[in-house]
Amino acid sequence: MLAVGDSTRLEIIFDTKQYRSRMEKRPRIQTNEGPPDKTVRIIATIVDRPDSTYPVIIKPYKLDLSQFGDDVRDQVKFTISNVSEEDLAVTLQSSKKDYFTVDLPKVVKAGQTAEGTLTLTDMGTKISFAKSFTFQLSDMTGSRFTVPVKRTMRTPGVQATPAKGYGDQGKH
Amino acid sequence: MRRILALTSGIFLMLFAVGSLTAAPRLEIPDETFNFGFVPQHASIAHDFWLHSTGDEELRILKVVPG
Repeated sequence: MLAVGDSTRLEIIFDTKQYRSRMEKRPRIQTNEGPPDKTVRIIATIVDRPDSTYPVIIKPYKLDLSQFGDDVRDQVKFTISNVSEEDLAVTLQSSKKDYFTVDLPKVVKAGQTAEGTLTLTDMGTKISFAKSFTFQLSDMTGSRFTVPVKRTMRTPGVQATPAKGYGDQGKH
Repeated sequence: MRRILALTSGIFLMLFAVGSLTAAPRLEIPDETFNFGFVPQHASIAHDFWLHSTGDEELRILKVVPG
C-alpha cells in the first residue's frame, strides 16, 4: 500500500542460468490503477566467456564473500583490465548500498589494469545474499558490466541460510 | 443574497463530488528500463526500480508478474 506521494523500491532479481546473448525481460506490475499493467524492462547480454570480454576483463567476474567460520570476511578486491586502445572512465550505475559499497577506479588506462574493492556494510556481514553491481565505461557505446556478488554464511552450529536469488524465490 | 449563497454552495459541492469521482491511484516509474550490460552465466543479478504513487488515491500493488 502506497500513500499518495510515497515511493517504494521494487527489486528485480534475474538468474542468468545458461542463457546466452541478449536477454530482455518485462515484469508486469498489477495495481489498483487498473489495466493496462505498468512494466519495467531489464536488458542483459549474457556471456559464456566472461574471461574474454571487450573492452574490459573483470577478474574475478563473480565475487563471493561466503563465510564458513567465525572470521568475518567483509572485503574482496577485483581487477578491471582495459584491453582496448583508449583510456576508459568507469562510473557506478547500480549498487546495493544496504549490503556493500563499491570502490571503483575512476579511469583505467589503455592496456592497463586497475583495482577495485567491495566492502560489506554492517548489515551485509550479517546475512546471506545474492546481489550485484553495474558500472558503465566511457567508450563510444557506453558499455556496461554487471558483477554478481554472493554471500553465504555458515558458522559452526548454525544452519546455513541460502542466499536469496539462488533458490527458487523471486526469480524472473 | 440567499439565492447566490445557495448557488455558490451548490457549485462547490458539485465540484467536490466530481473531484471525488475522478480521484484515482496512479503509478509512475521514472526509470523503467535498466541495462545490466555484460553479465556472466549462472549468476543472480539484481536492480531496484523506484515506484512512485502520484495519483490522488492510495496505490495498492497487487502483484508482480515475471516477464
